Amino acid sequence: MSSKSDAKQEREIKIVGFLCNWCSYGGADTAGVCRFRQPTDLRIIRIPCTGRIDPLMIVKSLIQGADGVLVSGCHPNDCHYAVGNFYARRRMEVLKRFLPYMGFQSDRFRYTWVSASEGQIWQQVVTDFSETIHRLGPNPGLHQTVDSAPAVSWF
Amino acid sequence: MRIGVFICQCGTNIAGTVDTRAVAKKAMEFPDVVFAVDYMYTCSEPGQKEIQDAISSHRLQGVVVAACSPRMHEPTFRRAVKKAGINPYMFEQANIREHCSWIGTDREANTRKAIDMVRMSVEKLRRNQALFSTQVAVNKRVLVIGGGVAGIQAALDCSDGGLEVVMVEREPSIGGKMAKLDKTFPTIDCSSCILGPKMVDVAQKENIRLYAYSEVEAISGYIGNFKVDIRKKATYVDWNACTGCGECTQKCPSKKAFDHFNEGLGATTAINIPFPQAIPKKARIDSDYCRYLTGGKCRVCEKICPVKAIRFDMKDEIVTEEVGAIIVASGYDLFDARVYGEYGGGRYPDVISAMQYERILSASGPYGGHIRRPSDGREPKEIVFISCVGSRDISVDRPYCSGICCMYIAKQAIMTRDHIPDSNCYVSYMDIRAPGKGYDEFIRRAQEEYGVKYIRGRVGRIYPRGDRLVVQGADTLLGVQVEIEADLVVLATGVECSAGARPLAEKLRISYDQHGFYMESHPKLRPVETNTAGVFLAGVCQGPKDIPASVGQGSAAASKVQALFSRDTIETDPQVAHVNENMCIGCGKCEQVCPFGAIRMKTLRDGSRKSEVLETVCQGCGLCNATCPNKAIQLRHSTDDQILAEINTLFD
Amino acid sequence: MDDKTNALREHVKGIFSNLELVLGWEPGYDPLHTRPFYVRTESDIDRLTANCLSFQNLTRYLAKSMNAVDPAADGRKIGVCVKGCDSRSLVALIQEKFVSRDRVYVIGLPCRGTLDARRIRALVPDPARIRSVNAEGDELVVETDRGISRFALDRAIARKCLQCRYPNPVIHDVLIGDPVTPRLKIDAENPSVAAVEALSLEDRLLFWENQLDRCIRCFACRNACPLCVCQNHCIMETRMPKWITQYRNMNEKFMFHMIHALHLAGRCTECGECERVCPVGIPVALIKEKINAIIYEMLDYESGIDPEAVPPLLTFSPKETGI
Repeated sequence: MSSKSDAKQEREIKIVGFLCNWCSYGGADTAGVCRFRQPTDLRIIRIPCTGRIDPLMIVKSLIQGADGVLVSGCHPNDCHYAVGNFYARRRMEVLKRFLPYMGFQSDRFRYTWVSASEGQIWQQVVTDFSETIHRLGPNPGLHQTVDSAPAVSWF
Repeated sequence: MRIGVFICQCGTNIAGTVDTRAVAKKAMEFPDVVFAVDYMYTCSEPGQKEIQDAISSHRLQGVVVAACSPRMHEPTFRRAVKKAGINPYMFEQANIREHCSWIGTDREANTRKAIDMVRMSVEKLRRNQALFSTQVAVNKRVLVIGGGVAGIQAALDCSDGGLEVVMVEREPSIGGKMAKLDKTFPTIDCSSCILGPKMVDVAQKENIRLYAYSEVEAISGYIGNFKVDIRKKATYVDWNACTGCGECTQKCPSKKAFDHFNEGLGATTAINIPFPQAIPKKARIDSDYCRYLTGGKCRVCEKICPVKAIRFDMKDEIVTEEVGAIIVASGYDLFDARVYGEYGGGRYPDVISAMQYERILSASGPYGGHIRRPSDGREPKEIVFISCVGSRDISVDRPYCSGICCMYIAKQAIMTRDHIPDSNCYVSYMDIRAPGKGYDEFIRRAQEEYGVKYIRGRVGRIYPRGDRLVVQGADTLLGVQVEIEADLVVLATGVECSAGARPLAEKLRISYDQHGFYMESHPKLRPVETNTAGVFLAGVCQGPKDIPASVGQGSAAASKVQALFSRDTIETDPQVAHVNENMCIGCGKCEQVCPFGAIRMKTLRDGSRKSEVLETVCQGCGLCNATCPNKAIQLRHSTDDQILAEINTLFD
Repeated sequence: MDDKTNALREHVKGIFSNLELVLGWEPGYDPLHTRPFYVRTESDIDRLTANCLSFQNLTRYLAKSMNAVDPAADGRKIGVCVKGCDSRSLVALIQEKFVSRDRVYVIGLPCRGTLDARRIRALVPDPARIRSVNAEGDELVVETDRGISRFALDRAIARKCLQCRYPNPVIHDVLIGDPVTPRLKIDAENPSVAAVEALSLEDRLLFWENQLDRCIRCFACRNACPLCVCQNHCIMETRMPKWITQYRNMNEKFMFHMIHALHLAGRCTECGECERVCPVGIPVALIKEKINAIIYEMLDYESGIDPEAVPPLLTFSPKETGI
């Protein structure tokens, strides 16, 4: 991964998408079948269920240099495995609120619920998220060395 | 590993916006790739042949196909590589059509994206393992939960197919809601005349074991091998001895017991047989009303009973049955009309529910089939039916249509006009929903032949005036306010999920929607399956429906069970979780979160606790994998290493 | 913690015949330390100490001791000394079924704070000369070979103690000494977390990078954590799955601490042991404290309070109110 100093401003934006097989992956298929035009930055990883998501996968992606991470699964109550997305929702929301504390831009991570029939909604989600990421620009990644840092005193 | 990569052009579907040749050329640079080619239609017969030839000529150990969605052709290609001698799980499919070529027109960007997708698939494939299904024996017995018409149909069909059936019914008799009906729409044939013989069949079939007045206590196991604990609730009567002669019900001094079968319109005795056609026709003591069980004195029935069947010391009993499949036909409840305070249901004795009216109409009902008002026994002349009481109303959290009310109102109105020719029937409705064979014609008959007056609009309020009821509402077609002085008001209460639906779903590990109706695997294509293998649905527990649809679903569920049982063993999906025992710390978090009860803890000889996956129960969701702190439990074919490799390869 | 050594010894003497062993502290190798101590015999009791230096969270050793004792033995329990913070770890271990409540005898010690050896060194330039330290009221009395000096106690106690909300054990079979008043209310904002959040997003990243850059991945924080139950089966050390490489760079250091923090999400009881043992002085607990704050705000849950509760990330609610 590139450090801040040598980040190429022109490099291609890459967004990692974790999509549950039953709903959102199907929704992305539906969007394709309907030829709903979408930005090309998304790289989809197919997982069985959002319950399979360990928030650390999202952290790993961001640290490795992903410009954005999009997780999408079945709507709450519609999980193929009944409850997987309920667990995922809690875990991902905790992560989303935690990321900025560590200095990550939390806008680079988003989770949504899109069903297999919602091709149009999928198109909107991808378009909107890609625009957000393009606005943020490439993920500068972590600094490999720190010359000066702000001091924090608590007591 | 020696990997072959096949890039499908899909005619111009992919090649139109992706340079497939460039993708294939680039793929040759990826690790372990020894062969890469693009082809016009990879899924076609010659396309599959090309893969199979390459497998033998290049000694391939794994195959990546970049083509359409794996939801479309993964099974096709898995079969193709299997035929060529490779394990079907040594295959990965990159979706460069739906997720790439079809959604963008920038050929260069699409090509770069396709290259990334192929690279991800290659990196995943490099970490694939050959997987093998296992065979488990099937216990060819089926449990039917619920003895309404759907459950009865399912049980009889299974029984006819030679299967052993265990039926569990919560009430003292089977028959469900249909047994309470007087007539059925749109043919006005007698409900108990068509249901009765089926109920008798259930009792007489030797391969049906009926547990009435029993409930499912717990379910464990998995498809082919479920273990079910059934709670036989105490009836205080030994049903093996009871002949159903009814002597006890004649002499029982406690005559004010709530009559469930007659919807509380009449009273029955503390020891009772719910209705004359009950199956099983056995007496039961209602412990809330029995003088001996509440007050400690009486025991009249015990003295009367000619076969000495009374057992005051009877306790609930748990029995265990083993079955291979489960059909859930647990039925529904009717909406409690008291929620609408403005209608006065429960406050005014002459505002009744449609099911109560059904009992009034019935010859076996509390008034012997004569239509009378519950308040004073007078024959009503002006009768108002109000539809959509607890249907299509977001304010009471019932946004759905119950589907049957329009029809049964028409039926009840027709029968009212039949019984009392000089009566007036009014129906206050929102819309008429009558899709079904002969249904719309039936509504028209009610309107035209029987002169039932249909008024479109909501009733706002009902209040008493003298011994009558004033029904105030609007006629939205004429745009006027309407006021009718009625003798009797019938509320068409809607369908809602059974009170026990949610706890039962938890035991079965099936999902339910926000209103408590059970979820089918696919709303169109898999309407009677659930996502828990081996559990099937029939009847209104899945959603509101009428008798023909319930019966149809009962038969459909039975045929699914028969198809399942037509084999002696079932093949399991090998994409399930697996525990690395060396790493497992036995914390049990996987067991805690598993939605299917597919994980259990075991103790090794050294005393250490380890988790263990029941591979036939595991559905492969991976929740355990995500939860396991040190990733000792891995979902096969979707392991951490595979997902991490897909991430890492994007940012090398 | 005020010196409770005598009261503790007296109590243990009275009940020791009913106990298999007692986990406590004994004087350490210098006047600034105590160390964990297993009381196995009657004569060991007089080595027990309990004072402002009793900083170790002994529940860390408990899960192991439970297994070390034959469960068939005459039903004698294991005694364990806990401060307020330690007791929460114990509750969390009971929740996760690593410890069964009926097998432990919990000796609760209300605590006004434990000393931070690093901060004492900042007060006393030459710690080698220290002969004894003692908390007297709000003062820390340090006796060196040059005489006695007094400091405000708050200048010497650990960060976690200055923001302590649970100074009194939440479960105990006996309480030695009187309960003390918490420094912060239960729902008070965490002042250290607030201090980090006062920085801009960019500065926060720089702050953490600067802190975590020092990390040598010695795993001391992990080993000291009572709830890092995987210990030597940790994914930080396994190659399969390979979540983390052995490269010594910022990415891997960051990843390591994110793993540690997220594994404790909804479980960390803020005992501060990870931070205390860090040889390079990274405020490791500060990472987890934020996650705790999120979970408290979002799911109204605090770890280590109710032994019957299910950790929030191991359960769900179909209707989430906080999300």
